[in-house]
Amino acid sequence: MPFTAKSGKFSANINTLTMGTGDKAIVLGGENVLPFYTFDAEIENAPKVGIEITDGGLEAEPECVKKYYEGCSTVVDMAKKAATFEGVDFLSIHLEGGDPNGENKPTDELINIVKEVADAVDLPIVVCGCKNVEKDAEIFAKASEVLNGKNAVMLAAKEENYKNVGASAGLAYKQIVGAESADDINLAKQLNVLLTQLGVDAKSIVMNVGTAAAGYGYEYVVSTMDRIKAAALQQGDATLQMPIITPVASETWGVKESVATEEDMPEWGPTEERGIDMEVETAAADLASGSNAVILKHPVSVATISKMIKALV
Amino acid sequence: MAKFVAIGERLSTTAPIINKAFTERDPEPILKRAEQQLKAGATYLDVNIGPAESDGEDLMKWAVELLQGNFDNVPLALDTSNKKAIEAGIAVYNRAKGKPIVNSADAAGRIEYLDLAAANDAICIALCNGEGIAKDNDERMGYCQLLLERGLEHGMEAEDIWFDPLFLVVKGMQDKQMQVLECIKMFSDMGLNSTGGLSNNSNGMPKAIRPIMDSALVAMAMMQGLTSAIVNPNDLRLMETIKSCDVFKGNTLYADSYLEI
Repeated sequence: MPFTAKSGKFSANINTLTMGTGDKAIVLGGENVLPFYTFDAEIENAPKVGIEITDGGLEAEPECVKKYYEGCSTVVDMAKKAATFEGVDFLSIHLEGGDPNGENKPTDELINIVKEVADAVDLPIVVCGCKNVEKDAEIFAKASEVLNGKNAVMLAAKEENYKNVGASAGLAYKQIVGAESADDINLAKQLNVLLTQLGVDAKSIVMNVGTAAAGYGYEYVVSTMDRIKAAALQQGDATLQMPIITPVASETWGVKESVATEEDMPEWGPTEERGIDMEVETAAADLASGSNAVILKHPVSVATISKMIKALV
Repeated sequence: MAKFVAIGERLSTTAPIINKAFTERDPEPILKRAEQQLKAGATYLDVNIGPAESDGEDLMKWAVELLQGNFDNVPLALDTSNKKAIEAGIAVYNRAKGKPIVNSADAAGRIEYLDLAAANDAICIALCNGEGIAKDNDERMGYCQLLLERGLEHGMEAEDIWFDPLFLVVKGMQDKQMQVLECIKMFSDMGLNSTGGLSNNSNGMPKAIRPIMDSALVAMAMMQGLTSAIVNPNDLRLMETIKSCDVFKGNTLYADSYLEI
Protein backbone atom coordinates (compact mmCIF):
# COMPACT_ATOMS: atom_id res chain seq x y z
CA MET A 1 0.00 0.00 0.00
CA PRO A 2 1.44 3.39 -0.91
CA PHE A 3 1.67 5.86 1.94
CA THR A 4 -0.67 8.78 1.60
CA ALA A 5 0.10 11.57 3.98
CA LYS A 6 -3.01 12.90 5.65
CA SER A 7 -3.28 16.65 5.72
CA GLY A 8 -3.61 18.25 9.12
CA LYS A 9 -5.70 21.04 7.67
CA PHE A 10 -8.88 21.72 9.64
CA SER A 11 -12.21 22.87 8.29
CA ALA A 12 -12.35 25.62 10.93
CA ASN A 13 -10.22 28.76 10.95
CA ILE A 14 -8.88 31.16 13.50
CA ASN A 15 -10.64 34.52 13.02
CA THR A 16 -8.79 37.15 11.07
CA LEU A 17 -8.42 40.43 12.85
CA THR A 18 -6.97 43.67 11.53
CA MET A 19 -5.03 45.89 13.91
CA GLY A 20 -4.37 49.51 13.05
CA THR A 21 -5.24 51.37 9.86
CA GLY A 22 -3.65 52.36 6.58
CA ASP A 23 -0.40 51.00 5.17
CA LYS A 24 0.87 49.83 8.54
CA ALA A 25 -2.24 47.85 9.44
CA ILE A 26 -1.54 44.19 10.22
CA VAL A 27 -3.70 41.10 10.13
CA LEU A 28 -3.65 38.40 12.81
CA GLY A 29 -5.01 34.87 12.48
CA GLY A 30 -6.89 33.25 9.64
CA GLU A 31 -5.00 29.95 9.75
CA ASN A 32 -6.66 26.54 9.64
CA VAL A 33 -3.61 24.58 10.79
CA LEU A 34 -1.54 24.26 13.95
CA PRO A 35 1.16 26.88 14.55
CA PHE A 36 3.76 26.91 11.76
CA TYR A 37 2.25 23.82 10.08
CA THR A 38 2.74 25.41 6.68
CA PHE A 39 3.18 21.94 5.16
CA ASP A 40 -0.52 21.26 5.84
CA ALA A 41 -1.84 24.54 4.47
CA GLU A 42 -0.57 28.00 3.75
CA ILE A 43 -0.49 30.38 6.71
CA GLU A 44 -1.51 33.61 5.10
CA ASN A 45 -0.88 35.87 8.07
CA ALA A 46 2.42 35.16 9.78
CA PRO A 47 2.53 35.86 13.53
CA LYS A 48 3.36 39.46 14.38
CA VAL A 49 5.82 41.07 16.76
CA GLY A 50 5.15 44.12 18.87
CA ILE A 51 7.56 46.26 20.86
CA GLU A 52 6.70 47.47 24.32
CA ILE A 53 7.37 50.85 25.84
CA THR A 54 5.92 52.11 29.10
CA ASP A 55 4.58 55.33 30.51
CA GLY A 56 7.66 55.34 32.73
CA GLY A 57 9.84 56.21 29.74
CA LEU A 58 13.51 55.49 29.58
CA GLU A 59 13.92 55.45 33.35
CA ALA A 60 11.71 52.39 33.66
CA GLU A 61 13.67 50.34 31.12
CA PRO A 62 16.29 47.76 32.03
CA GLU A 63 19.86 49.09 31.73
CA CYS A 64 20.58 47.02 28.65
CA VAL A 65 17.60 48.43 26.75
CA LYS A 66 18.36 52.09 27.47
CA LYS A 67 21.22 52.38 24.99
CA TYR A 68 18.90 51.62 22.09
CA TYR A 69 16.88 54.69 22.94
CA GLU A 70 19.81 57.07 23.23
CA GLY A 71 18.78 60.67 22.83
CA CYS A 72 15.13 60.03 23.68
CA SER A 73 13.82 62.29 26.41
CA THR A 74 10.10 61.51 26.30
CA VAL A 75 7.88 58.49 25.84
CA VAL A 76 6.91 59.88 22.45
CA ASP A 77 10.56 60.03 21.39
CA MET A 78 10.89 56.41 22.43
CA ALA A 79 7.81 55.44 20.47
CA LYS A 80 9.18 57.07 17.35
CA LYS A 81 12.50 55.32 17.82
CA ALA A 82 10.88 51.96 18.58
CA ALA A 83 8.93 52.18 15.34
CA THR A 84 12.22 52.16 13.43
CA PHE A 85 13.65 48.97 14.92
CA GLU A 86 13.93 45.96 12.66
CA GLY A 87 10.98 43.55 12.78
CA VAL A 88 8.52 45.76 14.66
CA ASP A 89 4.93 45.24 13.45
CA PHE A 90 3.11 47.13 16.18
CA LEU A 91 3.66 49.23 19.27
CA SER A 92 2.44 48.38 22.73
CA ILE A 93 2.22 51.05 25.37
CA HIS A 94 2.15 49.57 28.83
CA LEU A 95 0.58 51.92 31.37
CA GLU A 96 2.00 50.27 34.45
CA GLY A 97 2.32 53.63 36.22
CA GLY A 98 -1.45 53.72 36.61
CA ASP A 99 -1.50 51.04 39.27
CA PRO A 100 -3.10 52.45 42.44
CA ASN A 101 -0.74 50.27 44.47
CA GLY A 102 2.22 51.75 42.66
CA GLU A 103 2.74 55.21 41.20
CA ASN A 104 -1.01 55.72 40.80
CA LYS A 105 -0.67 58.20 37.94
CA PRO A 106 -3.95 59.88 37.07
CA THR A 107 -5.78 58.40 34.11
CA ASP A 108 -5.72 61.68 32.20
CA GLU A 109 -1.95 61.88 32.39
CA LEU A 110 -1.66 58.35 31.00
CA ILE A 111 -4.19 59.02 28.28
CA ASN A 112 -2.23 62.08 27.17
CA ILE A 113 0.79 59.89 26.66
CA VAL A 114 -1.28 57.37 24.70
CA LYS A 115 -2.65 60.09 22.47
CA GLU A 116 0.72 61.70 21.83
CA VAL A 117 2.27 58.34 21.01
CA ALA A 118 -0.56 57.42 18.66
CA ASP A 119 -0.22 60.77 16.91
CA ALA A 120 3.52 60.34 16.52
CA VAL A 121 3.66 56.84 15.03
CA ASP A 122 1.56 55.17 12.36
CA LEU A 123 2.00 51.63 13.68
CA PRO A 124 -0.96 49.71 15.12
CA ILE A 125 -1.29 50.44 18.84
CA VAL A 126 -1.86 48.12 21.78
CA VAL A 127 -2.75 49.70 25.10
CA CYS A 128 -1.73 47.49 28.02
CA GLY A 129 -3.36 48.28 31.34
CA CYS A 130 -1.91 48.49 34.82
CA LYS A 131 -3.46 45.21 36.05
CA ASN A 132 -5.81 46.94 38.47
CA VAL A 133 -9.28 46.07 37.24
CA GLU A 134 -11.05 49.29 38.25
CA LYS A 135 -8.31 51.58 37.00
CA ASP A 136 -7.99 49.58 33.79
CA ALA A 137 -11.69 49.96 33.07
CA GLU A 138 -11.22 53.72 33.31
CA ILE A 139 -8.01 53.72 31.28
CA PHE A 140 -9.45 51.59 28.48
CA ALA A 141 -12.61 53.69 28.26
CA LYS A 142 -10.63 56.89 27.80
CA ALA A 143 -7.95 55.32 25.62
CA SER A 144 -10.67 53.93 23.35
CA GLU A 145 -12.08 57.41 23.03
CA VAL A 146 -8.83 59.19 22.16
CA LEU A 147 -7.83 56.41 19.77
CA ASN A 148 -11.19 56.49 18.00
CA GLY A 149 -10.83 55.17 14.47
CA LYS A 150 -7.34 53.75 15.06
CA ASN A 151 -8.47 50.15 15.45
CA ALA A 152 -6.35 49.77 18.56
CA VAL A 153 -6.19 46.86 20.98
CA MET A 154 -7.22 47.30 24.62
CA LEU A 155 -5.28 44.66 26.54
CA ALA A 156 -7.24 43.56 28.34
CA ALA A 157 -10.70 42.98 29.75
CA LYS A 158 -10.85 40.55 32.65
CA GLU A 159 -13.64 38.65 34.31
CA GLU A 160 -14.04 41.51 36.83
CA ASN A 161 -14.29 44.39 34.35
CA TYR A 162 -15.35 42.87 31.03
CA LYS A 163 -18.69 44.68 31.09
CA ASN A 164 -17.11 48.12 31.31
CA VAL A 165 -14.25 47.39 28.94
CA GLY A 166 -16.50 45.58 26.48
CA ALA A 167 -19.01 48.41 26.50
CA SER A 168 -16.49 51.21 26.01
CA ALA A 169 -13.79 49.63 23.84
CA GLY A 170 -15.98 47.17 21.96
CA LEU A 171 -19.40 48.73 21.66
CA ALA A 172 -18.90 52.49 21.88
CA TYR A 173 -15.60 52.89 20.03
CA LYS A 174 -15.27 49.66 18.02
CA GLN A 175 -11.73 49.07 19.15
CA ILE A 176 -10.32 45.57 19.49
CA VAL A 177 -11.10 44.08 22.89
CA GLY A 178 -8.48 41.94 24.57
CA ALA A 179 -9.82 39.17 26.80
CA GLU A 180 -7.42 38.13 29.52
CA SER A 181 -7.40 34.85 31.40
CA ALA A 182 -4.36 33.59 33.25
CA ASP A 183 -3.73 30.08 31.94
CA ASP A 184 -7.34 29.14 32.53
CA ILE A 185 -8.84 27.64 29.41
CA ASN A 186 -12.40 27.53 30.75
CA LEU A 187 -12.23 31.18 31.71
CA ALA A 188 -10.75 32.04 28.31
CA LYS A 189 -13.82 30.56 26.69
CA GLN A 190 -16.20 32.06 29.24
CA LEU A 191 -14.87 35.58 28.75
CA ASN A 192 -15.31 35.34 25.00
CA VAL A 193 -18.86 34.12 25.50
CA LEU A 194 -19.64 36.93 27.95
CA LEU A 195 -18.16 39.59 25.70
CA THR A 196 -20.11 38.38 22.69
CA GLN A 197 -23.29 38.14 24.76
CA LEU A 198 -22.68 41.76 25.66
CA GLY A 199 -22.75 42.54 21.96
CA VAL A 200 -19.03 42.76 21.20
CA ASP A 201 -18.28 41.37 17.75
CA ALA A 202 -16.48 38.04 18.12
CA LYS A 203 -14.23 39.07 15.23
CA SER A 204 -13.03 42.07 17.26
CA ILE A 205 -11.81 40.05 20.21
CA VAL A 206 -8.23 39.00 20.76
CA MET A 207 -7.22 36.72 23.63
CA ASN A 208 -4.40 37.05 26.09
CA VAL A 209 -4.50 33.59 27.60
CA GLY A 210 -1.45 34.22 29.74
CA THR A 211 2.16 33.19 29.66
CA ALA A 212 4.99 32.60 32.07
CA ALA A 213 8.68 33.13 31.51
CA ALA A 214 10.26 29.95 30.14
CA GLY A 215 11.10 27.71 33.07
CA TYR A 216 8.50 29.25 35.35
CA GLY A 217 5.68 26.72 35.11
CA TYR A 218 5.77 27.12 31.37
CA GLU A 219 4.31 23.66 30.65
CA TYR A 220 0.95 24.98 31.73
CA VAL A 221 1.14 27.73 29.13
CA VAL A 222 1.82 25.18 26.41
CA SER A 223 -1.07 22.97 27.42
CA THR A 224 -3.45 25.95 27.69
CA MET A 225 -2.63 27.24 24.22
CA ASP A 226 -2.59 23.73 22.74
CA ARG A 227 -6.04 22.97 24.09
CA ILE A 228 -7.41 26.30 22.91
CA LYS A 229 -6.16 25.73 19.38
CA ALA A 230 -7.45 22.16 19.45
CA ALA A 231 -10.92 23.34 20.51
CA ALA A 232 -10.90 26.16 17.96
CA LEU A 233 -9.71 24.12 15.00
CA GLN A 234 -10.51 20.49 15.70
CA GLN A 235 -13.85 20.96 17.43
CA GLY A 236 -14.70 24.10 15.50
CA ASP A 237 -15.48 25.93 18.73
CA ALA A 238 -16.35 29.44 17.57
CA THR A 239 -15.98 30.80 21.09
CA LEU A 240 -12.24 30.08 20.99
CA GLN A 241 -11.35 31.03 17.42
CA MET A 242 -10.04 34.43 18.41
CA PRO A 243 -6.35 35.08 17.71
CA ILE A 244 -3.99 35.08 20.69
CA ILE A 245 -1.70 37.98 21.59
CA THR A 246 0.86 37.36 24.30
CA PRO A 247 2.72 40.01 26.30
CA VAL A 248 6.08 38.36 26.83
CA ALA A 249 8.28 41.23 28.00
CA SER A 250 6.27 41.91 31.15
CA GLU A 251 6.91 38.32 32.24
CA THR A 252 10.50 37.73 31.26
CA TRP A 253 12.12 41.02 32.33
CA GLY A 254 11.23 40.43 35.95
CA VAL A 255 12.81 37.01 36.51
CA LYS A 256 16.20 36.56 38.12
CA GLU A 257 17.83 35.26 34.93
CA SER A 258 17.09 38.63 33.31
CA VAL A 259 17.86 40.96 36.21
CA ALA A 260 20.71 39.46 38.25
CA THR A 261 23.86 41.46 37.59
CA GLU A 262 27.02 39.91 36.28
CA GLU A 263 28.82 40.83 39.51
CA ASP A 264 26.29 38.82 41.50
CA MET A 265 26.19 35.92 39.06
CA PRO A 266 29.50 35.84 37.17
CA GLU A 267 28.97 32.22 36.11
CA TRP A 268 25.75 33.20 34.28
CA GLY A 269 27.45 35.56 31.88
CA PRO A 270 26.37 39.04 30.71
CA THR A 271 22.96 40.29 31.92
CA GLU A 272 21.92 41.61 28.55
CA GLU A 273 22.45 38.29 26.80
CA ARG A 274 20.47 36.50 29.48
CA GLY A 275 17.61 38.96 29.26
CA ILE A 276 17.42 38.60 25.50
CA ASP A 277 17.66 34.81 25.76
CA MET A 278 14.79 34.62 28.23
CA GLU A 279 12.65 36.85 26.08
CA VAL A 280 13.46 35.07 22.80
CA GLU A 281 13.00 31.59 24.24
CA THR A 282 9.66 32.47 25.81
CA ALA A 283 8.41 34.23 22.69
CA ALA A 284 9.47 31.36 20.42
CA ALA A 285 7.69 28.88 22.67
CA ASP A 286 4.54 31.03 22.82
CA LEU A 287 4.46 31.24 19.04
CA ALA A 288 5.01 27.51 18.67
CA SER A 289 2.14 26.93 21.10
CA GLY A 290 -0.29 29.12 19.23
CA SER A 291 0.23 32.83 19.87
CA ASN A 292 -0.59 34.94 16.83
CA ALA A 293 1.39 37.88 18.18
CA VAL A 294 3.97 38.49 20.91
CA ILE A 295 4.96 41.69 22.67
CA LEU A 296 8.67 42.07 23.43
CA LYS A 297 10.93 44.72 24.85
CA HIS A 298 14.51 44.31 23.68
CA PRO A 299 15.15 45.37 20.06
CA VAL A 300 17.44 42.37 19.53
CA SER A 301 14.68 40.02 20.70
CA VAL A 302 12.24 41.69 18.31
CA ALA A 303 14.60 41.33 15.37
CA THR A 304 15.44 37.72 16.28
CA ILE A 305 11.84 36.56 16.64
CA SER A 306 10.84 38.41 13.50
CA LYS A 307 13.60 36.61 11.60
CA MET A 308 12.50 33.28 13.04
CA ILE A 309 8.93 33.85 11.88
CA LYS A 310 10.05 34.84 8.40
CA ALA A 311 12.15 31.69 8.15
CA LEU A 312 9.21 29.47 9.16
CA VAL A 313 6.22 31.00 7.39
CA MET B 1 -14.40 13.79 19.35
CA ALA B 2 -16.89 16.03 17.62
CA LYS B 3 -19.84 17.62 19.32
CA PHE B 4 -23.05 15.58 19.47
CA VAL B 5 -25.21 16.40 16.46
CA ALA B 6 -28.81 17.22 17.38
CA ILE B 7 -31.08 16.93 14.36
CA GLY B 8 -34.28 18.91 14.98
CA GLU B 9 -37.35 16.83 14.26
CA ARG B 10 -40.09 19.43 14.40
CA LEU B 11 -40.45 20.17 10.68
CA SER B 12 -42.59 17.19 9.91
CA THR B 13 -45.83 16.50 8.14
CA THR B 14 -46.89 14.60 11.25
CA ALA B 15 -47.49 18.05 12.80
CA PRO B 16 -50.74 19.32 11.30
CA ILE B 17 -49.63 22.95 11.24
CA ILE B 18 -46.44 22.07 9.34
CA ASN B 19 -48.25 19.70 7.03
CA LYS B 20 -50.62 22.50 6.10
CA ALA B 21 -47.75 24.95 5.63
CA PHE B 22 -45.94 22.52 3.32
CA THR B 23 -49.08 21.95 1.29
CA GLU B 24 -49.87 25.64 0.99
CA ARG B 25 -46.22 26.68 0.64
CA ASP B 26 -46.73 29.01 3.58
CA PRO B 27 -43.26 30.00 4.86
CA GLU B 28 -44.26 31.53 8.16
CA PRO B 29 -44.99 28.47 10.38
CA ILE B 30 -41.98 26.66 8.92
CA LEU B 31 -39.55 29.49 9.50
CA LYS B 32 -40.89 29.99 13.00
CA ARG B 33 -40.31 26.38 13.99
CA ALA B 34 -36.95 26.31 12.28
CA GLU B 35 -35.83 29.34 14.23
CA GLN B 36 -37.05 27.90 17.52
CA GLN B 37 -35.08 24.74 16.93
CA LEU B 38 -31.89 26.47 15.86
CA LYS B 39 -32.02 28.86 18.79
CA ALA B 40 -32.36 25.89 21.10
CA GLY B 41 -29.20 24.30 19.74
CA ALA B 42 -30.15 22.08 16.79
CA THR B 43 -27.27 21.56 14.36
CA TYR B 44 -29.25 19.99 11.54
CA LEU B 45 -32.94 20.37 10.78
CA ASP B 46 -34.89 17.39 9.55
CA VAL B 47 -37.28 18.24 6.73
CA ASN B 48 -39.93 15.55 6.72
CA ILE B 49 -42.31 16.16 3.85
CA GLY B 50 -44.01 12.76 4.18
CA PRO B 51 -44.49 10.51 1.16
CA ALA B 52 -45.12 13.59 -1.04
CA GLU B 53 -45.93 11.49 -4.03
CA SER B 54 -47.47 14.13 -6.23
CA ASP B 55 -45.31 17.24 -5.83
CA GLY B 56 -42.40 16.04 -3.69
CA GLU B 57 -39.67 17.41 -5.94
CA ASP B 58 -41.13 20.86 -6.06
CA LEU B 59 -41.90 20.85 -2.34
CA MET B 60 -38.44 19.69 -1.24
CA LYS B 61 -36.75 22.27 -3.45
CA TRP B 62 -38.95 24.97 -2.03
CA ALA B 63 -38.28 23.87 1.57
CA VAL B 64 -34.50 23.61 1.11
CA GLU B 65 -34.26 27.03 -0.50
CA LEU B 66 -36.58 28.57 2.06
CA LEU B 67 -34.67 27.25 5.07
CA GLN B 68 -31.14 27.70 3.75
CA GLY B 69 -31.99 31.14 2.44
CA ASN B 70 -33.32 32.32 5.77
CA PHE B 71 -30.88 30.61 8.12
CA ASP B 72 -27.40 31.00 6.64
CA ASN B 73 -27.33 27.70 4.74
CA VAL B 74 -28.41 25.64 7.74
CA PRO B 75 -27.58 21.97 7.10
CA LEU B 76 -30.61 19.78 6.51
CA ALA B 77 -31.73 16.16 6.66
CA LEU B 78 -34.02 15.41 3.74
CA ASP B 79 -36.67 13.06 4.96
CA THR B 80 -39.17 11.47 2.58
CA SER B 81 -39.85 8.17 0.93
CA ASN B 82 -39.89 9.99 -2.42
CA LYS B 83 -36.35 9.51 -3.75
CA LYS B 84 -36.77 11.98 -6.57
CA ALA B 85 -37.74 14.62 -4.03
CA ILE B 86 -34.51 14.01 -2.10
CA GLU B 87 -32.49 14.37 -5.28
CA ALA B 88 -34.33 17.55 -6.17
CA GLY B 89 -33.59 18.93 -2.70
CA ILE B 90 -29.90 18.08 -2.96
CA ALA B 91 -29.73 19.75 -6.37
CA VAL B 92 -30.45 23.14 -4.78
CA TYR B 93 -28.70 22.43 -1.46
CA ASN B 94 -25.78 24.62 -0.33
CA ARG B 95 -23.06 22.61 1.45
CA ALA B 96 -21.29 25.53 3.13
CA LYS B 97 -22.42 24.45 6.62
CA GLY B 98 -22.43 20.67 6.09
CA LYS B 99 -23.39 17.89 3.71
CA PRO B 100 -27.08 17.04 3.29
CA ILE B 101 -28.34 13.99 5.16
CA VAL B 102 -30.50 11.45 3.35
CA ASN B 103 -33.09 10.17 5.82
CA SER B 104 -33.07 7.22 5.44
CA ALA B 105 -31.94 3.85 4.14
CA ASP B 106 -32.72 0.50 5.74
CA ALA B 107 -31.62 -3.05 5.10
CA ALA B 108 -34.80 -3.97 3.28
CA GLY B 109 -36.84 -1.96 0.78
CA ARG B 110 -34.94 1.29 1.27
CA ILE B 111 -31.38 0.11 0.79
CA GLU B 112 -31.10 2.09 -2.45
CA TYR B 113 -31.19 5.34 -0.48
CA LEU B 114 -27.54 4.61 0.27
CA ASP B 115 -26.81 4.54 -3.46
CA LEU B 116 -28.58 7.84 -3.79
CA ALA B 117 -26.55 9.36 -0.96
CA ALA B 118 -23.33 8.00 -2.48
CA ALA B 119 -24.14 9.42 -5.90
CA ASN B 120 -24.78 12.83 -4.37
CA ASP B 121 -21.96 12.97 -1.81
CA ALA B 122 -24.45 13.09 1.04
CA ILE B 123 -24.56 11.61 4.52
CA CYS B 124 -27.02 8.74 4.85
CA ILE B 125 -28.88 7.50 7.89
CA ALA B 126 -28.77 3.71 7.75
CA LEU B 127 -31.45 2.01 9.80
CA CYS B 128 -30.23 -1.40 10.95
CA ASN B 129 -33.53 -2.99 10.41
CA GLY B 130 -35.02 -5.34 7.84
CA GLU B 131 -38.60 -6.49 7.73
CA GLY B 132 -40.04 -6.15 11.24
CA ILE B 133 -38.05 -5.36 14.35
CA ALA B 134 -34.67 -7.09 14.65
CA LYS B 135 -34.84 -9.89 17.19
CA ASP B 136 -31.36 -9.38 18.59
CA ASN B 137 -28.06 -7.61 18.06
CA ASP B 138 -26.71 -10.36 15.83
CA GLU B 139 -29.41 -9.46 13.42
CA ARG B 140 -28.84 -5.70 13.83
CA MET B 141 -25.11 -6.04 13.26
CA GLY B 142 -25.76 -8.20 10.22
CA TYR B 143 -27.76 -5.32 8.75
CA CYS B 144 -25.08 -2.88 9.83
CA GLN B 145 -22.46 -4.89 7.90
CA LEU B 146 -24.70 -5.12 4.87
CA LEU B 147 -25.40 -1.38 4.84
CA LEU B 148 -21.78 -0.48 5.47
CA GLU B 149 -20.57 -2.64 2.59
CA ARG B 150 -23.23 -1.27 0.29
CA GLY B 151 -22.21 2.30 1.08
CA LEU B 152 -18.49 1.61 0.71
CA GLU B 153 -19.05 -0.24 -2.58
CA HIS B 154 -20.69 2.87 -3.89
CA GLY B 155 -17.79 5.02 -2.84
CA MET B 156 -19.05 6.48 0.44
CA GLU B 157 -16.77 7.21 3.38
CA ALA B 158 -17.75 5.15 6.42
CA GLU B 159 -18.09 8.34 8.45
CA ASP B 160 -20.91 9.49 6.17
CA ILE B 161 -23.08 6.52 7.06
CA TRP B 162 -24.85 7.20 10.35
CA PHE B 163 -26.16 3.94 11.76
CA ASP B 164 -29.53 3.89 13.45
CA PRO B 165 -30.14 1.05 15.91
CA LEU B 166 -33.88 1.85 15.89
CA PHE B 167 -34.87 3.13 19.29
CA LEU B 168 -37.78 1.14 20.67
CA VAL B 169 -40.70 2.19 22.78
CA VAL B 170 -40.37 1.41 26.48
CA LYS B 171 -44.05 0.78 26.90
CA GLY B 172 -44.18 -2.62 25.28
CA MET B 173 -40.52 -3.25 24.63
CA GLN B 174 -38.85 -2.45 27.92
CA ASP B 175 -36.88 -5.70 27.76
CA LYS B 176 -35.18 -4.60 24.50
CA GLN B 177 -33.79 -1.29 25.75
CA MET B 178 -30.39 -2.56 26.85
CA GLN B 179 -29.99 -4.36 23.54
CA VAL B 180 -30.36 -1.09 21.69
CA LEU B 181 -27.78 0.53 23.96
CA GLU B 182 -25.38 -2.37 23.47
CA CYS B 183 -25.85 -2.08 19.73
CA ILE B 184 -24.74 1.58 19.89
CA LYS B 185 -21.60 0.46 21.70
CA MET B 186 -20.88 -2.00 18.90
CA PHE B 187 -21.22 0.77 16.29
CA SER B 188 -18.95 2.93 18.36
CA ASP B 189 -16.35 0.17 18.78
CA MET B 190 -16.25 -0.10 14.99
CA GLY B 191 -15.61 3.63 14.80
CA LEU B 192 -18.98 4.28 13.17
CA ASN B 193 -21.26 7.26 13.59
CA SER B 194 -24.77 6.70 14.85
CA THR B 195 -28.10 8.45 15.17
CA GLY B 196 -31.77 7.67 15.56
CA GLY B 197 -35.19 8.77 16.66
CA LEU B 198 -34.41 8.69 20.32
CA SER B 199 -37.72 10.04 21.58
CA ASN B 200 -39.40 6.92 20.24
CA ASN B 201 -38.58 5.37 23.61
CA SER B 202 -41.08 7.55 25.42
CA ASN B 203 -43.95 7.26 22.97
CA GLY B 204 -47.28 7.00 24.72
CA MET B 205 -45.98 8.32 28.03
CA PRO B 206 -47.45 11.37 29.79
CA LYS B 207 -46.08 14.63 28.39
CA ALA B 208 -44.32 15.53 31.63
CA ILE B 209 -42.48 12.22 31.74
CA ARG B 210 -41.09 12.23 28.21
CA PRO B 211 -38.28 14.76 28.69
CA ILE B 212 -37.08 12.81 31.71
CA MET B 213 -36.99 9.51 29.88
CA ASP B 214 -35.44 11.06 26.77
CA SER B 215 -32.73 12.80 28.80
CA ALA B 216 -31.84 9.66 30.70
CA LEU B 217 -31.66 7.66 27.52
CA VAL B 218 -29.58 10.20 25.64
CA ALA B 219 -27.06 10.27 28.48
CA MET B 220 -26.82 6.49 28.51
CA ALA B 221 -26.63 6.37 24.71
CA MET B 222 -23.91 9.02 24.58
CA MET B 223 -21.95 7.00 27.10
CA GLN B 224 -22.25 4.10 24.67
CA GLY B 225 -20.95 6.28 21.86
CA LEU B 226 -24.04 7.68 20.14
CA THR B 227 -22.87 10.60 17.98
CA SER B 228 -26.20 12.14 16.96
CA ALA B 229 -29.93 11.89 17.47
CA ILE B 230 -33.10 13.12 15.84
CA VAL B 231 -34.75 14.99 18.69
CA ASN B 232 -36.95 17.85 19.73
CA PRO B 233 -34.36 20.55 20.48
CA ASN B 234 -36.97 22.60 22.26
CA ASP B 235 -36.97 20.03 25.03
CA LEU B 236 -34.81 22.04 27.40
CA ARG B 237 -34.01 19.19 29.74
CA LEU B 238 -32.87 17.05 26.86
CA MET B 239 -30.64 19.74 25.34
CA GLU B 240 -29.12 20.54 28.73
CA THR B 241 -28.34 16.87 29.14
CA ILE B 242 -26.74 16.64 25.69
CA LYS B 243 -24.61 19.73 26.32
CA SER B 244 -23.53 18.41 29.72
CA CYS B 245 -22.66 15.00 28.29
CA ASP B 246 -20.64 16.73 25.55
CA VAL B 247 -18.62 18.35 28.32
CA PHE B 248 -18.03 15.07 30.15
CA LYS B 249 -16.99 13.39 26.92
CA GLY B 250 -14.59 16.19 26.08
CA ASN B 251 -16.54 17.00 22.91
CA THR B 252 -16.80 20.62 23.96
CA LEU B 253 -14.74 22.69 26.29
CA TYR B 254 -16.47 23.70 29.50
CA ALA B 255 -17.26 27.36 30.24
CA ASP B 256 -19.69 28.61 32.88
CA SER B 257 -22.08 29.71 30.13
CA TYR B 258 -21.95 26.38 28.30
CA LEU B 259 -25.73 25.94 28.42
CA GLU B 260 -26.28 29.28 26.70
CA ILE B 261 -24.20 28.52 23.63
